[in-house]
Amino acid sequence: MMVVFKPGLMDLVMDLGRSGFRAQGVPEGGAADAPSLVAANRLVGNPDDAAGLELCMWGPELSFPDGAFVALTGADMAANLEGVGLQPGRKHEIRPGGILKLGKTDLGIRTYLAVAGGIDVPRVLGSRSTFLPGGWGGWQGRALKAGDILPVGSSTANQVWECQPGFWKQPVSELRVMPGPQLNGFTDAALASFLDQMFVVHKDSNRVGIRLAGIALDYRRGEIASQPVLPGVIQVPPSGQPIILGWDGPVTGGYPVIAGVISADLPRLAQLAPGDSLRFRVVSHEEALKDWQ
Amino acid sequence: MTKMTVSRETISWRWVTDRGVRLATGKATLPVYHMLMEAGLPGVVELVPADGSLLVVLKPGTQAPSRLLDIINSQSFDMTPARPGREHEIGVVFDGLDLPDVADKLELSLPGLIEGLCKTQFVVKFLGFQPGFAYLEGLPQEWHIPRLETPRKSVPAGSVALGGAYCGIYPAQGPGGWRLIGRTDARLFNPVASSPALFQPGDSVRLVSA
Repeated sequence: MMVVFKPGLMDLVMDLGRSGFRAQGVPEGGAADAPSLVAANRLVGNPDDAAGLELCMWGPELSFPDGAFVALTGADMAANLEGVGLQPGRKHEIRPGGILKLGKTDLGIRTYLAVAGGIDVPRVLGSRSTFLPGGWGGWQGRALKAGDILPVGSSTANQVWECQPGFWKQPVSELRVMPGPQLNGFTDAALASFLDQMFVVHKDSNRVGIRLAGIALDYRRGEIASQPVLPGVIQVPPSGQPIILGWDGPVTGGYPVIAGVISADLPRLAQLAPGDSLRFRVVSHEEALKDWQ
Repeated sequence: MTKMTVSRETISWRWVTDRGVRLATGKATLPVYHMLMEAGLPGVVELVPADGSLLVVLKPGTQAPSRLLDIINSQSFDMTPARPGREHEIGVVFDGLDLPDVADKLELSLPGLIEGLCKTQFVVKFLGFQPGFAYLEGLPQEWHIPRLETPRKSVPAGSVALGGAYCGIYPAQGPGGWRLIGRTDARLFNPVASSPALFQPGDSVRLVSA
């Protein structure tokens, strides 16, 4: 089991999400930086889709009364175990009663903690991921609080990765996009500005949407009918300030879509911090697929 | 029953990120949705209908299946419902905050408005906004009413509301910009049920004064 001594900013139980329910209004959700969760799982010998914790910006203090094997990936959160720094991208043993303390992220904002055996909460709609907007899934449908005691499953003998050095080291300054369905409805000035300017990530950003601030983008054709959207879709509301839909975003949206961040770049989107600046680069579908691993 | 078809010229498509193909299906949205569901194309993860368009969600990292493009480019669609939807009767207490205002705007008496709503045969066009939130179509054109200029920060679960061409019921508490006309006890979304949303695209819904 895992006991929460002190929660972090937003500690959420996440696996790789749920598919097949968008037509009922339910997005996939799941780890925002999915490759990092998969890497953490492999380091401790879990299946790729085992549930771990997604931590954001500053982390919790956790104790493991029975001991545990853990691994951290994603953004480095300056973790320490009994005062000794804990290297990300490796498996570590925590002895019974050991306390794992996580600090703050420096580069990137999302850190993944896998525990051998996985966090054993019930699946809801096929997944153990927390769906915060609906208050269900994960651990009681919410972020962890002090005193929570989470069950950990028994470890399976999957192949274990030795080490995974690729944790978050690169600042993100560019996201690749494909043109969106309403691209042609934007003014020429808006299209030029969309590709030329650096946008700044607004502090009102979360797993539902990442708000950007910049020079307003003008859409010249009035209202549009609600259309289906996906994570990564860049909507432009009347304010002209774009919103990139996130992992828990709605399945339909009524604002024009100028472009969409490609799947291969969603994990990078997940690591953008408020105040970071970024620009967009248009790619073809072939190029978007090339980088998918 | 008359069979209606829509010609292939009417359906164009566009990418939505690299893993979604948005078909401009117009009035054929539900027939195309049902047809593609039956087709069970490889590489297609889900199908999401919306207002006049349909999203085909692909497995990440895959090309659009050529058969999908063949189907949408070569076929006419049968506009008669492919499968009969379920019929729902929803008990509603008509005491919404905006009910008098809606009646005023539509130049109807309160009993006239309520009677009209209860006589309307609604059809579930699509779900979205919140899990289980269904867009119910069927209001006469002259009853289409703009959304509130400033959305409410919180609308109680079970609120029955009108917005644009649609009637909707909020499955969970949350922000909302539609005009509230009543409330229901019906449970519209249950995440632990195998089919979590009560309403599915193509179902028909009637409101009953409770």
